[in-house]
Amino acid sequence: MAKEIFEEKKRAEEEFEPLIVAFCCNWCSYAGADLAGTSRFEYPTNIRIIRVMCTGRIDPTFVLETLRMGADGVLIAGCHPGDCHYQKGNYMMEKRFDYVKKAVKSTGIEPERVRLEWVSASEGGKFAALVREMTAQIKQLGPSPFRFVRNPK
Amino acid sequence: MSEKESLKRKTDAAIDAFKSQRLRWVTGRSQVKVEIDEERYRQVVDVIMRDEIERHMIIGALKEKGLLTVEELSQLTGLQPNKIIQHMIALRRNGVITEAGEKNRQYLYRLI
Repeated sequence: MAKEIFEEKKRAEEEFEPLIVAFCCNWCSYAGADLAGTSRFEYPTNIRIIRVMCTGRIDPTFVLETLRMGADGVLIAGCHPGDCHYQKGNYMMEKRFDYVKKAVKSTGIEPERVRLEWVSASEGGKFAALVREMTAQIKQLGPSPFRFVRNPK
Repeated sequence: MSEKESLKRKTDAAIDAFKSQRLRWVTGRSQVKVEIDEERYRQVVDVIMRDEIERHMIIGALKEKGLLTVEELSQLTGLQPNKIIQHMIALRRNGVITEAGEKNRQYLYRLI
């Protein structure tokens, strides 16, 4: 009996494919993701990219709403500090991100599901590696507590 | 209250809190123009954030149920009654809620 339960749990874990929503800035990270594609770097298909003009545009509610809608992880990717097309958009996001993480933690969702990373337009390899690493991390964390929103069963 | 329901309520409150003017004002700034150091400012923002989330949990519960007492609010939100009373005072002062009768010798509150 215990073996059956263990196997069933293992199967469920194996079947779990996380859904990660990435907010990429138009000038660096989106171009980096594009480069990863054109350079034929392989990365998991668990990621869904949303292009925004700058990470400074990302409101904390975007992240919370995304998690609320059942996403297993949220990745925010922007230009390296000092490289922002709009001068200080990524610095603004960096400050705001602390508060976002605290808010996510206070709701009872693991704050590790939300990540802020810097990827420049020439770092296709880094983007692919980042997606691979994050997918593995979310797989380890397991499904989001809001998974029931996507899968009512 | 089930775990799912509590999680939903808390997340909805956090979303509403981040939409509120008070929290936007303190988290949306790129530079702090007040004469306090960064660490102290962060502590202040943390307190504001926690308060706003809790207040929006109360507002959410009142929106859902209509009329509620402090005890009922405490059961629905999982917050301590004395904490709820503190928030009720602030919400009443800001013109968000008002008393609307009594139940079991306790005031009933509703949204304005």
